[in-house]
Amino acid sequence: MAWVTIDNASELDNEESLGFEIDGHKLALHRLDDQFYVSDNICTHQYALLSEGFLEDGCIECPLHQAQFCLKTGKAMSAPATVGIKVYAVREEAGDVQVSFP
Amino acid sequence: MTQVNHNQTILIVGNGQAAATAVHALRSHGFAGCIRVVGSEAHLAYERPPLSKAMLSDPDAGVPGLHIHSADFYQDARIDLMLQKTVTRIDAEHNMALLEDGQQLPYDYCLLATGGRARQLPDYPYGDPHIHYLRTADDALKLRQSLNASSRVAILGGGFLGMELASTTRALGASVDVIEAADSLLARNAPSVFSTWLVQRARLAGVTLHLGSRVHAAALQKTRESDAPVTLSLDNGCRIEADHLIVAVGLTPNTEVALRSGLAICMQTGGIQIDRHGRTSVPNVFAAGDCATRVDPETGERLRIESWQNANEQARIAAQAMLGQAPAAAAFPWFWTDQFDCNIQMLGATAAGLQFVQRGDIDANTAVPKFLLLGIEDGIPRYALAVNAGADLRALRPLLEKGIPIDPQAFGDVDLPVKQFAKKTTAAAI
Repeated sequence: MAWVTIDNASELDNEESLGFEIDGHKLALHRLDDQFYVSDNICTHQYALLSEGFLEDGCIECPLHQAQFCLKTGKAMSAPATVGIKVYAVREEAGDVQVSFP
Repeated sequence: MTQVNHNQTILIVGNGQAAATAVHALRSHGFAGCIRVVGSEAHLAYERPPLSKAMLSDPDAGVPGLHIHSADFYQDARIDLMLQKTVTRIDAEHNMALLEDGQQLPYDYCLLATGGRARQLPDYPYGDPHIHYLRTADDALKLRQSLNASSRVAILGGGFLGMELASTTRALGASVDVIEAADSLLARNAPSVFSTWLVQRARLAGVTLHLGSRVHAAALQKTRESDAPVTLSLDNGCRIEADHLIVAVGLTPNTEVALRSGLAICMQTGGIQIDRHGRTSVPNVFAAGDCATRVDPETGERLRIESWQNANEQARIAAQAMLGQAPAAAAFPWFWTDQFDCNIQMLGATAAGLQFVQRGDIDANTAVPKFLLLGIEDGIPRYALAVNAGADLRALRPLLEKGIPIDPQAFGDVDLPVKQFAKKTTAAAI
């Protein structure tokens, strides 16, 4: 486990998400209510990038079929998803946003 | 409103999307009494949308992957699941459901979630190895086993299901002919500019479309002229030889139980009549999903909606009403289809008299087209369609829900992100 700096994270606007990869693993950085969150970027229901989704009420909503996942816990909050996504610890260090991975 | 009585029994007839949602909603809203589900299929409740897509294209896909809830869920939630059982009618006077095998099941509340079945055409018998209808997981498995890359597939019906099947079977390598009686695709459900785009998109994918065409004569066995098991002669003179014919000409709501039980049925839409809380003409009997027709108390409008979201919403509302709780209003109608490498979503229903404004290029040739159409009436958005722009559509939803007037020019400006457009529009309306 290591803290990995996410490129261009500080440029991310509120209520926006950004897809990135670590060792080929697709991850998404989300910024909501000025908090950063990192989650898996692939919806558990069907292949879709959550970074192209919609942020609201503490959840990322999949752009394909509106499945919602809790940003804090990764829990699937609404159908059609039943399986949650992984979420990762985030910290801000000297202006960098870092994620604890894996 | 009455209080929940946890000694009560709630019986759910049917085991599809609406039933699965109702079960979950009843427990999550605190009902601790007996929940019994009677369904005629052998499977646990499963998601139907993938049946026309991944279930056909992915040889490893199985029904367990489509389960809405796991077997553990039913056990943990103490749901009495009675699979491969069929309710024939309910005796509303004695609050008793009667099963095909003679069993009688008492209930305090009953939810009819009987769904629908593929509308069958007598010329194309269900069960013929070369004729397919698609409604159940078993239908999909039979179709998948029949298909290969050299299959010749004819599809009767160019609606949502027909076109999803055309997309999936074509992607498998099959040669595909679609026969549609109307002159355009999805004419009743989508604006014409979209219909035209979809026609181009399907043709680019290599699907042969026969629009404005009907089958004039069908031979369902090999003939002297043809070694194909299915030969269709169209009224436009075309002759289609196929290994498989898929009939996708709509859905017939399952209302037999309701009819035998003396419940009111809507003659126009064929569904079981319900009020805004899902209550049928018998006060402790509810209905939800494809089998139900909601009658608007103000306008008298009757609407039977065949969608995944509607099944979920009506089930949730009925569950809460049965528990004596005030259900939140149904979510704004939302529908999706995945075809020809496009995720297509709609909010609301298209209607005559809407003026359409667009955002992005309506181009069938790009690998991943992306555009939005907004149907407006007096400046107020009533309907939206998104191709590969689900998040944008989602951002527009509050404008449709609240009926906030929009600036069509600003909407069409692709340099202004839709999220910002929606925010600005909402702010301007306050």
